[in-house]
Amino acid sequence: MKKLVISILLILFAISIYGTTLKIWAMGEEAKTLPVIIQEFEKENPGVKVEIQALPWSNAFEKLLTGVAGRQLPDVIQMGTTWMPSFSAMGAFQDLGAYIKNSEIISEEKFFPGSWSTCVYRGKVYGIPWYVDTRVLFYRTDLLAEVGYTEAPRNWDELYDAAKKLAERPEMYGLTFQTNEIQEFIPFVWQNGATVIDENNKPGVDTPEFMEALDYFARFFEEDIVPKAGSGNIFQDFASGFVPMFFTGPWMVSMIHEQTPQIDGKWAVALMPEKITRTSFMGGSNWVISKTSKNKELAWKFLEFMSRPETQFQWYQLLKALPAVKEVWNYKELKSDPFTSVFGEQLKDAKATPNIAEWEKIESIVESVLEKRVLGKITTDEAIKEMTQKISKVLK
Amino acid sequence: MKTRLSAILIFLGPALFIMTVFIIIPIVLSLLISVTDFNVYAIFDWKNAEFVGFKNFIDLFSDVIFWKALFNTFYALVVALPLTIIFSLLFALLLNRSATHFKSFFRLSLYLPSITNTVAIAVVWAWLLNPRYGLLNWFLGLFGIAGQNWLSDPKWAMPSIIALVVWKAIGPNMLLFLAGLQNIPDFLYEAAELDGANRWKQFLHVTVPSLRPQLLFVSVMLVIGYLQLFEEPYMLTKGGPLNSTISIVLYLYRQGFYQFNFGYASAVAVVLFGIILTLTAIQMRLRKYQE
Amino acid sequence: MRKKKIPFIEQLGVHTILLAAFLIMAIPFFWMVSTSFKNPDEIYIFPPRWVPHRPTFDNYVELFKTVDFGRPLINTVIVAVTSTFLSVMLSAMAGYGFAKFRFRGKEKLFLLVLATLMVPGQMTLIPVYLILNSLNLLNTYAGLILPGVASAFGIFFMRQFIMSIPDELIDAAKMDGAKEFFIFLKIILPLSKPALATLTIFNFVGAWNSFLWPLIVATDEKMYTLPVAISVVQGQYGEKIALQMSGSFIVIIPIIIVFFFAQKYIIKGLSMSGMKF
Repeated sequence: MKKLVISILLILFAISIYGTTLKIWAMGEEAKTLPVIIQEFEKENPGVKVEIQALPWSNAFEKLLTGVAGRQLPDVIQMGTTWMPSFSAMGAFQDLGAYIKNSEIISEEKFFPGSWSTCVYRGKVYGIPWYVDTRVLFYRTDLLAEVGYTEAPRNWDELYDAAKKLAERPEMYGLTFQTNEIQEFIPFVWQNGATVIDENNKPGVDTPEFMEALDYFARFFEEDIVPKAGSGNIFQDFASGFVPMFFTGPWMVSMIHEQTPQIDGKWAVALMPEKITRTSFMGGSNWVISKTSKNKELAWKFLEFMSRPETQFQWYQLLKALPAVKEVWNYKELKSDPFTSVFGEQLKDAKATPNIAEWEKIESIVESVLEKRVLGKITTDEAIKEMTQKISKVLK
Repeated sequence: MKTRLSAILIFLGPALFIMTVFIIIPIVLSLLISVTDFNVYAIFDWKNAEFVGFKNFIDLFSDVIFWKALFNTFYALVVALPLTIIFSLLFALLLNRSATHFKSFFRLSLYLPSITNTVAIAVVWAWLLNPRYGLLNWFLGLFGIAGQNWLSDPKWAMPSIIALVVWKAIGPNMLLFLAGLQNIPDFLYEAAELDGANRWKQFLHVTVPSLRPQLLFVSVMLVIGYLQLFEEPYMLTKGGPLNSTISIVLYLYRQGFYQFNFGYASAVAVVLFGIILTLTAIQMRLRKYQE
Repeated sequence: MRKKKIPFIEQLGVHTILLAAFLIMAIPFFWMVSTSFKNPDEIYIFPPRWVPHRPTFDNYVELFKTVDFGRPLINTVIVAVTSTFLSVMLSAMAGYGFAKFRFRGKEKLFLLVLATLMVPGQMTLIPVYLILNSLNLLNTYAGLILPGVASAFGIFFMRQFIMSIPDELIDAAKMDGAKEFFIFLKIILPLSKPALATLTIFNFVGAWNSFLWPLIVATDEKMYTLPVAISVVQGQYGEKIALQMSGSFIVIIPIIIVFFFAQKYIIKGLSMSGMKF
């Protein structure tokens, strides 16, 4: 009896979606590659047409903002994880709680926790992870071997030691950091068990652990281990050995292969250095359904389709984007790839920044104080004081 | 003798009407926002914005970074304005000589920066100024001058930005001057020559006075444009290092588009608007006195 | 034209300065064009290669595979041509009014026109969008064109130019009982050719290259203009830069053609008007 009811419902749904168009906004390359996958979805849902509008990464933000203000959003939108808190706060996205409850494909435990957390705002789920990325250590195996590291530095002490030795080469450095990029700094905070905002939603920077992380990060600048002027061109700098180590995400793998093929085989990727943990930064993209959509059922169907392991795997093959669904990481293609497998391992310990609407403001406070600290304009105590005071004001 | 109202309506009406709908009303709207706390919650639903009076302005004037941005912007204006006018005028004069060859080619090449892709411009400038492999430091090295970390040294970052700004502005402004120069009738120069004026005197007594309308236009436009300096620091330095290249509009952009404090950002826009309006009105007034 | 012997040293100096300027100004353009013919491993090499060692058409092939140029090109031509024509026309008319009409409050009204330039575009983005939305002009050519056609820049530019046309010419025509419009067509426009040509170039380049507004107005890809259609090949982290450069080069070519065409026209217009002051 139950089966009959379900099949009748399914038939009714199929009739109801016949002739509808599902509108999707996606970014640059992703949008240009999606049609390959969409064909399959259209086949499964006869009479449904999927229309994709590609937005340039450079200005998607303005487009999304005007879309929200004018209530002119499509049914489904790709959202960078770092944009989730502010756009969720606007109230333009559909709460997906009810859909998830009844879904056989989508449930929290199927995704990486760090990635799922970017979808949750004030206890409600507003998105479904699509693909993820995380930062790891990129290093020159040959140059590290010269200073006695046949394997990548495993912890904070080794990272500092290796970088220090490499920086003793004339006119060369140990690694590179930007002076004011929170995504490079915050993993060190997490690795030391510290945090920017504590669980009571108060500034959490006034702890010995946070200070230690700040001092550790700044020491690389103070001892001229990183070039203060930054890296003029990371590819050439990595190839020439000017900076033999840096932390970045999976997109760099193919770019380094393409742009500096002369060092192929002389570099590798490794997990983040360990202190208490090896936590890294978690990014990527999610799917959201707009509140004003008239095709929410169909939109949800699309999200389910994109979350299937086989679709996720196909997407990995197309763009090398890291699957957000954990199950896919058991496929041998991912396990046997020397680069991908490291990212897979790192994803088990990767966090996203807090999903609160004020995060953007807090981020800019941390970044500007961090810059002053690493360039030696203020002491650690002053930095902590300034951060605490300014963050408290934002969290009021 | 007054102009007929019908003529005023026919000639000024269309432009003013479109301006009102698409520019003036939006400006008024965004200025109204400056007395509210319009933030992330109000974008989807305007009812969530509340009236806060002059709070945004009070906060603004007590923010150190705002003053820094104001200082930086004026620094850029004071240096870039005369440089732009001098270079644009110089090239316009050179290209207006009848004896100059390949005019079209040079005219186009000076105009290229304003039509070249910004990414290409950013890459090339980052290269020119690169402390290690940059052309500029190499060039200075030839004369035994020590190179600098142009974009990452708070002392040099703003001058580097100004160089880019001027470099981009020369082409279009040169064209504006050229249009003016081409309109100066030859007989004025011939008359001056008969009076025994040398070329410098001809420049001072014929060219400059005839170019007055274009000079006013260019300087008013540059003041309006340079006080809204945004793209170049956004491209090259994002306002860093240590906020040494943050401009007013970049400050406003950070507040509005990164942090969604649109009420606050509007207050910044109001202050900026006041400054530009005052300076423009002064320029127009000065011009009247000259006449 | 005065024919006079110009000292050789002066000629040499002038052309050296211009050549130096050309080199400094055109560097990024060179880099853009040469990068569009490069393989990935040559893009960021030091010292920069101004000529690729192994030139390739791959970027162009891939670009034409990824981006459908047909419709965006038509859109861009329609938008650029229409908005340039309207904008130059409106600017000339309003510029004439502000230069030669006599009525109370003219200066204040003109300052109001200038005031439209004094608020950064980022602030008015959302309000303009909402107005267009309420007028149902999203995703239409009118929506792409209208917001930009009345420009204070153009009005101010034409005003300055028309101011220098002597009043006697206009007054003489007035004696014959000519209407304003006749004066505008027969006297003002012919004498303003250099200014009109310059303004045409500015407006055309601006409209042809405009990017953010077309992106925001278009609610489906069919209404994309060339710069928008090409911008989507760029990845999130600046990959595919050669692809972007080839796209930018393609977008610029028509501008250069128009530029040369307009220049010819300026010179012709000048010799025709023959400086009858």
